[in-house]
Amino acid sequence: MNDALCEVVREGIPDVVSGRSSGEGAASVEGHLVTCEECRAEFELARTLFASRPRVPARLAARVVSAVQRDRTTRASPWWGLSAAAVAALALGIGISSDSPAMRDSEVPNYAYEVEEGALWLSDDGLLAGAPSFDALSDEALAELLDELAVGTSPGGSL
Amino acid sequence: MREDDRLGPEPSDSELVRRGRSGDDAALSTLVHRHHAAAYRVALSLTRDDDAAQDVVQDAFLKAFRALDSFRGDAAFRTWLLTITANEARGSLRKSGRRRETALEDAGPVRSEDVDPAEAAVRSQESARAREMMEQLPEKQRMSVSLRIDEGLSFKEIGQIIESSEGAARVNYFHGIRRLRELLR
Repeated sequence: MNDALCEVVREGIPDVVSGRSSGEGAASVEGHLVTCEECRAEFELARTLFASRPRVPARLAARVVSAVQRDRTTRASPWWGLSAAAVAALALGIGISSDSPAMRDSEVPNYAYEVEEGALWLSDDGLLAGAPSFDALSDEALAELLDELAVGTSPGGSL
Repeated sequence: MREDDRLGPEPSDSELVRRGRSGDDAALSTLVHRHHAAAYRVALSLTRDDDAAQDVVQDAFLKAFRALDSFRGDAAFRTWLLTITANEARGSLRKSGRRRETALEDAGPVRSEDVDPAEAAVRSQESARAREMMEQLPEKQRMSVSLRIDEGLSFKEIGQIIESSEGAARVNYFHGIRRLRELLR
């Protein structure tokens, strides 16, 4: 066993078992293996490992080529990217519709209650409502209503 | 494809990269077919999961081709690609936060027509056991052994991929081999 020679041989073993090294280099390694048990054991291990390389899925290359082509087409067409972004934004908008739980549970902002002062009407049940429209009343019905109101507010009234 | 390409030797990686930069899809396709197996084995060695490894390979090629303009050619295209693949695999592991074991049948031996069936069966068992033992090595030793024996990379190239120096890659390789021999005794 020659340490210096063994070191050189052991570095070259992977190239011999894989067939990447041939000719004089390979012959030199193989010649050394005849006399060196340690290097021969390492050669056998390397050969076993090389022979058991993991199998590559048959469709992998086609899958990658297809993905690369899709990617290049997409990147070559910026409008396609913008369209995709617009669709995503639209989908997001639909997701946040007014009947969503997020909207129901959210606090209603103050401006939602802002109504012009004269348009408020206090109902009998104490709730605020919009002022009634008198446009639909006939002249006779309107006169009766005004009479009732006048009675209710006159100093000599029953109220 | 040009006439001289059909008649001459296969174009080098550098030539294919140059063509790919100019928008030649066929050149990129050739690069995929040439290097996807090595990329897959690197990804599998790190993720130990077939599906994850395939995803990693796809992402690595997409990243490499998107960054083709920034590839300066200081390293070989293959080393650059395998470095991206290893980084993608590490990222995938961080995302998943787990490592699944590779099924032994995924690491089956390459069949040879010249070998006696009985001898082939023994070798097949030895091969499966060797790969099983390889899984027990620390990551850098496992990667160094795999990249040196499976892909034939130099220690300098291995160092780039495992994020170590050339010397550290050599030490990791020989420690890995010694440990494997102990485990297989």
